[in-house]
Amino acid sequence: MLILTLSDAHIPDRAIDLPLKFKKLLGIPNKISQVVLLGNCTKSYEFLKFVNEISSNVTFVRGEFDNEQLPTTRKNINKQGIPMDTVIKQGDFKIGCCSGYTVVPKNDPLSLLALARQLDVDILLWGGTHNVEAYTLEGKFFVNPGSCTGAFNTDWPILGQEEPARTKASPSPKDGGDEQDKSNEQTGRNEPADNREEDGNNSSENVAQSDSFADKTSEDGSQKKNQDASGKIDLEKVNDEDEDEHEDENEELDIPDLELDGSNDPSFCLFDIQGSTCALYIYIYVDGEVKVDKVVYKKSN
Amino acid sequence: MSYSETLEQAISTVKHQAVQMQRCLQQRKLMDALKYASIMLTELRKPDLSPKQYYELYILIFDSLSILSSYLVENHPKGHHLADLYELVQYAGNVIPRLYLMITVGTSYLKCPDSPREEILKDMIEMCRGVQNPIRGLFLRYYLSQRTKNLLPPDLFEFNANFVITNFIEMNKLWVRLQHTGPLRQREQRTRERKELQILVGSQLVRLSQIVDDNIQLYKDQILPTVLEQAVQCRDVVSQEYLLDAICQVFPDEFHLVTLDQLLNSTLHLNPEVSINKVILTLTDRLKGYMDRNEDDDSKKIDNNLFEVFWNYLKNLDEERPDLSLEQFVPLIESILGLSLRWYPNDLQKLNILYKFTTKKCKDYGKVIPSELEYLFLNLLTLKNENESGLLNANFYYEIVLQCDSFRDLLSIQSVALQRNIVSKLLDIFLQTSSETDTQANPSLVIDSKTKLDSLLSICETFIMDKSSVSAADKRKPQNDENNSNGIRTKNGSFDKPVLVNNNEENNENESSWKLDPDQEKLAKLCHLIIRSINKSLPEKKNIELQIELLFSIKAWFLKGGKNIKYTFPAIVTNFWKLIRMCHLLSIRSKSKKKLFYENLIKQLFKYASRCINDLFNICGSSFADSLYKLNIQSASLADQLSLGEIAYDFFSQAFTIFEEFLNDSRTQFQALVYMAQALQKTRSLHEDTYYNSLVVRCTLHSSKLLKKQDQCRAVYLCSHLWWATEIALIGEEEGITTDFYREGKRVLECLQRSLRIADSTMDNVQSSELMVEILNRCLYYFIHGNEHQTHVSVKYINGLIELIKTNLRSLKMEQTDIDIDPQRLSELHLDDPTLPLDTTFIIGMDGSYINVSQKSGPAPSITSKLNSTFLNEMIQIPIQHFNRTCEYIYDQREVDDRFKVIVI
Repeated sequence: MLILTLSDAHIPDRAIDLPLKFKKLLGIPNKISQVVLLGNCTKSYEFLKFVNEISSNVTFVRGEFDNEQLPTTRKNINKQGIPMDTVIKQGDFKIGCCSGYTVVPKNDPLSLLALARQLDVDILLWGGTHNVEAYTLEGKFFVNPGSCTGAFNTDWPILGQEEPARTKASPSPKDGGDEQDKSNEQTGRNEPADNREEDGNNSSENVAQSDSFADKTSEDGSQKKNQDASGKIDLEKVNDEDEDEHEDENEELDIPDLELDGSNDPSFCLFDIQGSTCALYIYIYVDGEVKVDKVVYKKSN
Repeated sequence: MSYSETLEQAISTVKHQAVQMQRCLQQRKLMDALKYASIMLTELRKPDLSPKQYYELYILIFDSLSILSSYLVENHPKGHHLADLYELVQYAGNVIPRLYLMITVGTSYLKCPDSPREEILKDMIEMCRGVQNPIRGLFLRYYLSQRTKNLLPPDLFEFNANFVITNFIEMNKLWVRLQHTGPLRQREQRTRERKELQILVGSQLVRLSQIVDDNIQLYKDQILPTVLEQAVQCRDVVSQEYLLDAICQVFPDEFHLVTLDQLLNSTLHLNPEVSINKVILTLTDRLKGYMDRNEDDDSKKIDNNLFEVFWNYLKNLDEERPDLSLEQFVPLIESILGLSLRWYPNDLQKLNILYKFTTKKCKDYGKVIPSELEYLFLNLLTLKNENESGLLNANFYYEIVLQCDSFRDLLSIQSVALQRNIVSKLLDIFLQTSSETDTQANPSLVIDSKTKLDSLLSICETFIMDKSSVSAADKRKPQNDENNSNGIRTKNGSFDKPVLVNNNEENNENESSWKLDPDQEKLAKLCHLIIRSINKSLPEKKNIELQIELLFSIKAWFLKGGKNIKYTFPAIVTNFWKLIRMCHLLSIRSKSKKKLFYENLIKQLFKYASRCINDLFNICGSSFADSLYKLNIQSASLADQLSLGEIAYDFFSQAFTIFEEFLNDSRTQFQALVYMAQALQKTRSLHEDTYYNSLVVRCTLHSSKLLKKQDQCRAVYLCSHLWWATEIALIGEEEGITTDFYREGKRVLECLQRSLRIADSTMDNVQSSELMVEILNRCLYYFIHGNEHQTHVSVKYINGLIELIKTNLRSLKMEQTDIDIDPQRLSELHLDDPTLPLDTTFIIGMDGSYINVSQKSGPAPSITSKLNSTFLNEMIQIPIQHFNRTCEYIYDQREVDDRFKVIVI
C-alpha cells in the first residue's frame, strides 16, 4: 500500500507549483492508494485537481492557512470540515496526522510524542516546518515530509545566517530500537545534502527507483547513512568573510531563493506499508534533480 | 454492338474479349484481334456507371490495350505498317472504340523512329473532341495523356506544353460540364462524382510540372497564366478551389515565390463562393514548408518582400471583396500571420500590422461578434494553430504583448468572456514555462521596467476584475468560457470546475467557506513569476528598488479586483516578506551607510506588508479575518527574527485586535490562540520593554476566557509553554548549554494548576478525565525538562494528579452501563446491524474532537465534536486508555531516568 504525504504547498500564496519532476513522478494514476495532505494545501484548484488524479482517497488536516472547511467545488457542494488531526489505519499501523501548527512548542519532539500518545498511534505525520524529517522516538516513528514546493517559511529560516556557531553534533544512527535519545534517526536540512555527496553512485539507482513506484520492494532494513557534520559549518560561514567588498554599489544580487524562502528544498514522503513493515521514501528536489532516501521502520511488539 | 446490362457482365465481357484478343494476336490474326478489342471497348460506352465503376473497367481495358500496343510496335513495319493501321481503325463503328484504338495505334506509331510525331499528336488531340460526354471524355483524354506520357518529342517544350495544356483545358471543361448534366435534384451527387474525378484533371497539372521541369520563365509567362485563366473563366467553384489548390501543391515553392502576384491576383477574380482562405492556407503552408526545407541553406532564403506581397493582397482583397465575412477573412489573416511568424520570426511589427488590420475589420463589422465566431479571434490572439509544435515560447508571447499595441487593441474589443479565456491561456503559457525551465538561470520572461509590467497587466484587466461585475457590464454569460470546444479541458478529476461566485452567494459568505477560483489563482502565481523575472544582473540596490516598484504596481492592478484580492494579495505580502529577508541578508554583509540603508528599508517594507494586510482587511472584512490574523502573526515572527521587537509587538497587537473583534466562532478562537502561543514561544526579541510579558499575559487571559471549558483548559495548559522557552537549534541554542532561556517555572505551574481547576470543573466526566490525563502528560514534559526547583512541577504534584485521575476514572467506570451479555450472544445480536460496530474505538484529538478510529485499512475516520451517549461505554475507555498509555510511558522511562521511579502509578 503506497501512501503519499504532501505538506505546505502554499499554492498560490507562496509558490507557483510543485517542481515539474515531482509532478512527473507523481502523475501516474492508480499507483498510490491514499494521499495525506498535512496542511496549507487547500487553496489551489490546480493542486487539488492534481492530487485528486493521483488518488481519490485524500485525507486532509488543517494548516494555519486552511479554512475550517474544504473549499467548495461543483461536485462537492456540501461542506466538509477539515479536522485539526486525524488517524488512519494502514497495515498494522495506526498513523496520526496533524499539520503541527497547534503543537506547542512547535516541532518539539516531546510535544509530538505526547500527541502520538494521545492519539494512540505508531506513526505520527506532521507538517508546518518546511523541513523534511524522519526519526524514531520511544518506538514510534515521526515523519515530516517538508514542503512539497519549498515555499516561503515564516519561521526561523532553516539556513541560519547570523550565527555560524552550531556546535551540536548530529546524532549517529543506530538500529531502530527504543533509545532514550530524543532522536536517533534524523533527516534535516544538512543531512540530505551530505548524503548526496556520499551517495553519488546511488543516484542512478534512485532514479530507477523513482520511475515506478510499483516495483518497489522492501529491501532489508537499510538505515540512514552516516552523517558528516564537518561539511556544513563551512557552508554557513562563507558569507562572513568579505564584508568590505560588498560596499560596491554595483554588486549583483546573488542570494539564492532557497535562502530567502528560509525553507528546505522541496520534498515529499511516500510510505510503502506491508503488514508490520513500513518503508519510507523521502524525495528531495535538489539542484534540479530528485534524490531519494529510504528508511525502514518496523513495528515492535 | 451493344454494352452489357450490369457491371459484372461488363467486367466478364471485357475479360473474355481480352483473352480472345490475345489468342488472335498469338495466331497473328490482327484483324480479329482488333475486332475483339473493339467489342471490349464498347463496354466503355456503358452509361450509368459511377466514376469508380468506370475506372474499374478502364483499368482492365488499359492493360489489355498495352498488350495490343506491344504487338503493334513489334510487328511494324514487317507485319503491317502503323500508318495504315491508323487509317484503318478510323473505320471502327463507334466513336469510343474508334478513338481508343486510334490512340493505341497512334501512340504505338509514336514509338517508331520514323513517325510524324507532331502530326499524330495533333490529330489525336483533335479527334478527342469527338467525345463530349463528361465521364467518357475525361477518361479518353486521360488515356491519351497516359499513353503519350513518355512519347512527347524531346526538346519541343512549347509544343509539348501546349499539347498538355490543351488536353487539360478540355478535361476541365468536361469536368465542369458534368456538374450540369442530369436532373437538378442530383446536383449534390454530381458534385460528389466530380470530386472523385478531380484527380484526372489534376494529373494534367502534374504532367505540366514534369514538362516544365525547372523552366521558371516558361511557367511564369505561359503555363501559369493559361491555367489560371482557365480556372478563373470556368466560374466553377469546385474547379477553382481544386485547381488553385493543385497549382500550389504541384509546382515547386521557388515558382510560387516568383509568381505570387499572379497567383494571389487570380484569387480576387474567383467565384464569390470559393473559400479563398483555403487556397491561401495551402499557399502559406507551402511557403512555411519552404522555410523548413531550406532551414540550413541561407542562400535559398531570398527575401522577395513576401510579407509586402501578402499585405498588399490583403488590402486589395478587402477593397474588392467587401462581401467576405469575418469567418472567411480572419482565417486568411491567420494564415498570413503564420507565414510571417515563420519567415520573419523576430519581426513583431508585421504581426502588429495584421492585428491592426483585424482590429479595423472588427470595428467595421460594427456589431457584437457572435459567440460562434469567437474561436477565430481566440486562434488569432493565442496563435493556437501556430503553436501546436510548441515552437513559440512564453517569452515570444510576452514580446507580442509588449510590442504589439494592436494585439492589445484587438483583445480589448473582444467580449469579456473571450478576453478572459484568452488571458487565461496566455497566463497558462507563462506559468507553465516557468515550471519547465525550473531554474532561475533561464527565466522565461524578463521584466525590467514598470512600463513592461503595465503592458502585461493591462491585458489582464478584465481577468483581474470580479466576474460578476464584468459580466453585468458585458451582458453575456462569461461562465461558459472554459467549457466551449477549445479542447484544452483536462482530464476529469472529481475536483471539477469550482462553483463560481454568484451574486447572491456573495452576501452569505462566511469565514469557514472558501471558493476556489482558478483564474485568480493564476494571477497570484503571476505575481511570483513577475518578481522572479526581474533581471538578475541589475545592481542589488536597483534590483530591490525595482522589485518594490513592481510590487506596488501589481498591487494597484490587483486592487481593481475588489474582493478578489483575498486570492491575490497574500502573494504580494509573501513577496514583501521575501524582500525583507533579502534586505536583512544584505545588511548583514554590509557596513555603515549601506547597512543603515537596508535597515531603514526593512522597516519600510514591514509597513508595505502591513498596508497590504490592512487593505485586505478593509476590503474583504471579517470573512477573511482568520487568515489576516495569521498574516499578522507571521509578519510579527519575521520582525522578531530580525530583532525588531517593536515592529513584532505591533503586528502581534494587530493580531489580538482582530481576534478580539472578529474571531467569533469558538473553534476558530481556540486554534487561533494556540497558534499565537506557538508563535510567541519562538520569539526572542520581545523581552525589552516588557513586550513579551504583556503579550503572553494577554494570550493566556484570552485562553482562560474561551467559550468552552475544554478549550479553555487546553489553551491554558499550552500557554504554560510561554514561560518555558525551548531550544531553537537553527539559531544555535541548545538545551543544557544555552543558559539564558526565558523560563519561569512558577508561572508554568500556575498555568497547569489553572487548567487543572478548569478540567476539574468540567461537568462531562469523560472530558474532565481526559483533560486531566492530558495535563499529566504536560507535567511529564516539564518533569523531563528540568529540576523541580526550576519547573516547579514536582513529583508530589504529579503523584497528586495521578491520584486524582485514578479517583476520577474509578467514578467514571461507575457510569459504565454493564449489561453483561455473553460475548457470543452479543456478536449474534450485532450480526445484522452494521451500524453498531463490534469493536469501536474512539480517541480525543488535540482540539477535543472525537475521532472514530477505523479498524480497517484505508478510509479516513469520522470525526465529530459531539458524541451521543449510545457510545458512553466506548467514550469512557478514552481517558482510561490514554491514562494507561501514559503510565506505560512512565514505566518505560524508569529504565533511563531514575527520577521516574518516584512517580507512583
